[in-house]
Amino acid sequence: MIGFSTVATTGGFIIGLALGLIPLATAIHYRKWRAGILGYIACVLSGFACGFIGGIPVVILASAVVISYAYINRQDPFTSLARLDEVDFEETRREFFMRQMASLGSVLRATGRMLQRNKAGFIGFLGILFFVIVSVFGPLFIKYEGQPQFQRRQPGATSLFQGPSAQFPLGLDWQGRDVLSHIVHGGQKLIITSVVAGLLATAIAVILGAAAGLLGGLVDQVFSALSNLLLTVPQTPLLIVLAGLIRLDNYLLLAVLFAALNWPALMRAIRAQVLSLREREYVEAAIALDLGMWHIISREVFPNMVSYIAVNMIFSIRASMYNLVLLVILGLVPLTEPDWGVMISMGRQQGALFNPSASAMLLAPIAAIALFQLCLVLFTRSLEEIFNPRLRSGL
Amino acid sequence: MASTAQPERVDVRTGQPVAPHVLRKWLRKFSKSYTGRVVVQGLFTIWAVTTITFFLIRLMPGNPLDIKIDQLQRTQGLSYQEARARAAGLFGFDPDQPIFEQYVVYVGRLIQGDLGQSITSGGISVSSEILQFLPWTLFSVGLGLLVSFGLGILIGLAMAYWRGGILDNVMTVVSSILYGIPDYIIPLLLIIVVGIQWGLFSPGEMRGGIDPTLTPGFTPEYIGSLFKFALLPVTTYVLASIGGWVLTMKSSTISTLGEDYINVAKARGLSERRILIGYVGRNAMLPLVTRLAISIGFVVGGSVIVEELFQYPGIGRNLLRAINARDYTTMQGMFLVITIAVILSNVGADLLFGLLDPRVRLGGEGDDT
Repeated sequence: MIGFSTVATTGGFIIGLALGLIPLATAIHYRKWRAGILGYIACVLSGFACGFIGGIPVVILASAVVISYAYINRQDPFTSLARLDEVDFEETRREFFMRQMASLGSVLRATGRMLQRNKAGFIGFLGILFFVIVSVFGPLFIKYEGQPQFQRRQPGATSLFQGPSAQFPLGLDWQGRDVLSHIVHGGQKLIITSVVAGLLATAIAVILGAAAGLLGGLVDQVFSALSNLLLTVPQTPLLIVLAGLIRLDNYLLLAVLFAALNWPALMRAIRAQVLSLREREYVEAAIALDLGMWHIISREVFPNMVSYIAVNMIFSIRASMYNLVLLVILGLVPLTEPDWGVMISMGRQQGALFNPSASAMLLAPIAAIALFQLCLVLFTRSLEEIFNPRLRSGL
Repeated sequence: MASTAQPERVDVRTGQPVAPHVLRKWLRKFSKSYTGRVVVQGLFTIWAVTTITFFLIRLMPGNPLDIKIDQLQRTQGLSYQEARARAAGLFGFDPDQPIFEQYVVYVGRLIQGDLGQSITSGGISVSSEILQFLPWTLFSVGLGLLVSFGLGILIGLAMAYWRGGILDNVMTVVSSILYGIPDYIIPLLLIIVVGIQWGLFSPGEMRGGIDPTLTPGFTPEYIGSLFKFALLPVTTYVLASIGGWVLTMKSSTISTLGEDYINVAKARGLSERRILIGYVGRNAMLPLVTRLAISIGFVVGGSVIVEELFQYPGIGRNLLRAINARDYTTMQGMFLVITIAVILSNVGADLLFGLLDPRVRLGGEGDDT
């Protein structure tokens, strides 16, 4: 298992309940009931899901949103509700903190609005959210069936396979186990591995791309040649051959392998962006004004690339999941149950492909994988709008 | 062809007097020209892949040679020396030589087209195995790509021309879905839903490449059977790649429709049909033609799971079989052939693009386009 566990726990629930009081109290203070209750629910759910790791960021975000509803920026009488005679540029440390929180909150609210603007993208977002929620909270309600259930054999049936019924909505697999329980429990490791691989590939691509673009010379040539090489070699045969040579039975190893194969496309794009941005007038102006390296990177360069990076990260997550499932279906990586890919692979070995009553057992993981991948692709459309500085400035 | 492309630019860039030697002069021009760059890069990639595969198979811990020696010792009761000699014979090299010399011998044989002997099916050379399986893959992949390319171009053109119509709305959704789902979902769905649940065909009968009872020949039955068994893989390739073609063609056509020369053609009173085919279609297809060449390589690479699911006797399925049987010489040979096919189609795409669009060939000056 990589990183942290994401199975909902009772301890996490208590953490969520406690942490959620912060935005709730803030909301009561400002009398913003609706925002407070929504923030409380978000905190409880995320604390429930990942304990402190999930709870603390959401507490900060939820509080920021609540504050942004009520905050009156006294430095800015034009767009906020501050009266002209209230304008005051002196601020205490507390007021500075509140201003930062409020701006974070309004960015979040703007993001939420942008998310809903693109219908296809919003559907993709909801789909991803659905799979994450099912994978995290599903195990609380549906127990995993790992042992064969021979007593479920229908009289006269030749196998334990069963189509959907009221008791088992997705049917039974070749050992008579509930397919629904495998779907609910089988997405987690797949999703986490893909996300880790995607993040890793993005990090490699950003670092190498920036290095190649900024340093140039030999560094540039070496990494460009390497990325060219990796881009030309066909990935599927390469992965299959590697799986034949190396024993790939570890999720972390697989994530690292996918990241090592997925970085070149984004790296080249970032290198090109850096090269082109270096020549832009506004960047030159910022350098001439001596605004500082951090300001230039965070305010002038990064906003122009973040949309590209985010979209490519999603595509890299998608490619990792594609590769992982492919290797599992071909039976080249010995992964354990429960896993969507293993369901297809095992079902194929047990003859489910040609057994009409076993169709549900295969269609369920197929649908899960296809829908998740489709939602990822759709979600990129929203990401483009969220991170596009031209669209955002219109707000 | 390349050497005559841009003689004066080379001299400006290098700033040196023309070298006296004719061959050296030609080589320098070749390596600076567009064609030269593309070809050199392709050759470099092939060399790199060959070298990496060579060292990966020999130097990895628990490498295939050691495994084979161990296996021969256990199963046939050979001494270590005998087993080692036999394994070396199978892999086609002498393990006592230093690794560098082995590498030179290996590359020398590779250039002559000798990929060694298959380990599991004794006495058969890997190249003859590849020659046996490659035509199946090329046939099914080529047919699938041609059909999806042709259909995709027509649908995309129609969608862009009648933008906002029923066809446009329906096909945008369908293409997005086909583009978004992984391609190995399609053969699984074909078998389970169309074959088993709807009963439109029998997946068991459609396994394989051809009806084994027929004798090869140019008879209608034989060719008919060839197409019948290729139907499922071809359908899969069409469905898996058509979404990309439709969406690209649509956006390419829309941007072409806004060009000035289209307005000029309309002002000249040319017929709609002539504008659509001769002016819009031809120019909008430009970016897709090169993508076709690239995707040939990628579909050959991605044919593994399609051929495995339909038991189609192509190179992808046999690569998988070789891996599962730990037949490393076959695996190495097939991987090299697939990779070289991909690289060749990439080089072909680049050259084709240079041929179709002169701005590319002339180098970095056209950056503003």
